[in-house]
Amino acid sequence: MSKPESEYKHSVEPASESDARDVATPQRRRRRQPHLETSVNMDELRELVSLIQENGFAEFELEREGFRIHVRRDFGGTDVNANSTEGRLAEIAPTPVVKADSGSKISTPDHPGARAQTAASEDQDLHMIPSPIVGTFYRSASPNSDPFVKIGSRVEPDSVVCIIEAMKLMNEIQAETSGEIVKIYVENGQPVEYGQPLFGIKR
Amino acid sequence: MPSASRKFKKILIANRGEIACRIIWTCKEMGIKTVAVHSDVDRDSLHVRFADEAACIGPAPSAQSYLNIPAVISTAEIFNVDAIHPGYGFLAESSYFAEICEACNIKFIGPPASVIRLMGDKIEARRAMKEAGLPIVPGSPDPITSEDEARKVAQEIGFPIIVKAAAGGGGRGMRIVRSEDELGPALEAASTEAAAAFKDGTVYIERYVENPRHIEIQVLADEHGDCIHLGERECSIQRRHQKLLEEAPSPVLSPELRKQMGDAAVSACKKLGYSSAGTFEFLLDTDNKFYFMEMNTRIQVEHPVTEMVTLADIVRNQIRIAEGEPLGYTQDDLMIVGHAIECRINAENPETFAPSPGLITAFNLPGGPGVRVDTYVYSGYRVPSFYDSMIAKVIVHARTRDLAIARMKRALEAFVVEGIKTTIPLHLKIMDDPKFRAGEISTSFMEYFLTQNGSRKNDVLATAR
Repeated sequence: MSKPESEYKHSVEPASESDARDVATPQRRRRRQPHLETSVNMDELRELVSLIQENGFAEFELEREGFRIHVRRDFGGTDVNANSTEGRLAEIAPTPVVKADSGSKISTPDHPGARAQTAASEDQDLHMIPSPIVGTFYRSASPNSDPFVKIGSRVEPDSVVCIIEAMKLMNEIQAETSGEIVKIYVENGQPVEYGQPLFGIKR
Repeated sequence: MPSASRKFKKILIANRGEIACRIIWTCKEMGIKTVAVHSDVDRDSLHVRFADEAACIGPAPSAQSYLNIPAVISTAEIFNVDAIHPGYGFLAESSYFAEICEACNIKFIGPPASVIRLMGDKIEARRAMKEAGLPIVPGSPDPITSEDEARKVAQEIGFPIIVKAAAGGGGRGMRIVRSEDELGPALEAASTEAAAAFKDGTVYIERYVENPRHIEIQVLADEHGDCIHLGERECSIQRRHQKLLEEAPSPVLSPELRKQMGDAAVSACKKLGYSSAGTFEFLLDTDNKFYFMEMNTRIQVEHPVTEMVTLADIVRNQIRIAEGEPLGYTQDDLMIVGHAIECRINAENPETFAPSPGLITAFNLPGGPGVRVDTYVYSGYRVPSFYDSMIAKVIVHARTRDLAIARMKRALEAFVVEGIKTTIPLHLKIMDDPKFRAGEISTSFMEYFLTQNGSRKNDVLATAR
């Protein structure tokens, strides 16, 4: 049950001031940094992100004149201060979220009651199944059997979608809604935290 | 010490706040990796940031996160830790948790589960300590079940008496009774409060010692039967049985009395088969007679004052002892150098004591010679409303008590916390109080102090609430 530490640990910035600023003044930032397009192209960006992903970095930042890129992989479920009024980003992303200072990607701040849904801004129309406990995620009942669900599987509220092992106990997790599985956010055998998104369901 | 020779490679800290950070600091010095657990509102807490690894184990309410034994053990197994440090509060004094750790082959950094269970039941603890030779306050040996029984015991030991919860702690489920006609309602109130707080309405009765000092003895015992004490802490400054300020040494303990109390604690420890760090709480009456109150089978909030005057790292010793190392000190090695004071800084209104959670907008830590601050907050941190209000401890060390008071004053003046209210102004006033400065303190000090400072009315309101 070993796992690269960097992927499981949450990278936490104490003040998160940069994030707050990004939300507060995206316009101003864009004006000050007019050379973003010329500084980096999408292919380079893709290469950079896949390199970061391969090496299991939780967070990566690169700054050059007139250009800053901040990549964060966060496997956790929710924003920290659900009640906070200052604009924190919902920094939960199953795939790397690229935050360039151009303000190209700004997700909405979290709000109470909608925690699980805020996993990633492009997935906001999806229903999220979060992990109800901390444990190890398994897609099938045993190593040799088929996964409970795949992309495209239809599920009903009582459909078992996965197993979370905690203290040697296999806890079957049910979909609790009906729809189609369109996203699977964690790998088989991966440790998961409380609240971490597991599946995205289109209802 | 090189980490290669350590038995523990990785420790999980089943706690939050300043004590989780405190434990991480020592682990770093010992070359031991740390795993933090946290609730979803604690993601921005410093213990999460400074641990080598971290996992969110549940939502904000403690019962579903920090008290969630399956989640803690599951995390310990995922990260393959050798031991769990429980800190104070939460699972620190759960014998059940200690047993589960043992069953899962994870070392619980603390005493054996059997001793935790014994000391957790205040009636059984009194009985065991009496047998071990410690003086105890005269009182009922058994739980009180009826008002008649209470009346009989009260007549034997004489008023005033105090009704206490058997499962109690932190001042809840306690009532002072000065006459017979107050007895019935007090029993009822204490029992109800105890049932609400501890799910156990059992109460017992003791003689109430007037104007006592709260003096506690820190002990360290290894798993091979060796035990020493690290002197005393004076913790008389309390409000509603919650300690606000502690110091070491006590201004009134003579070396003879220190030896007498320390030896009594060490001897009881040996008889109990105790190991790890522990604290014996005593009442000291105005005739310098001491009575055992209870034993805390964990690290305590106020442990830093002992660390300052003895140069011992108590967390380090807890870890070493749990690794099975021998104590390595004898009682003769104990030195008490200078004087230390600790002020607990709570996120509370300093006059009404109403909790004040929220965003810290500015934060400056005091520094300079002889100042230590144990904290987990920072500028931009939002103090959650779910947990204990203590955000920091300021500890000073100086050659004498007078110098320590002066040092504390200037440290508190330089300690800036904006955005929320804190008890810093209260501590500053205490530093200026003539009785405090003269060392004339007892557990009723705060009652006197708040009356002097016009906050009595608020305190009464808070009590009535």
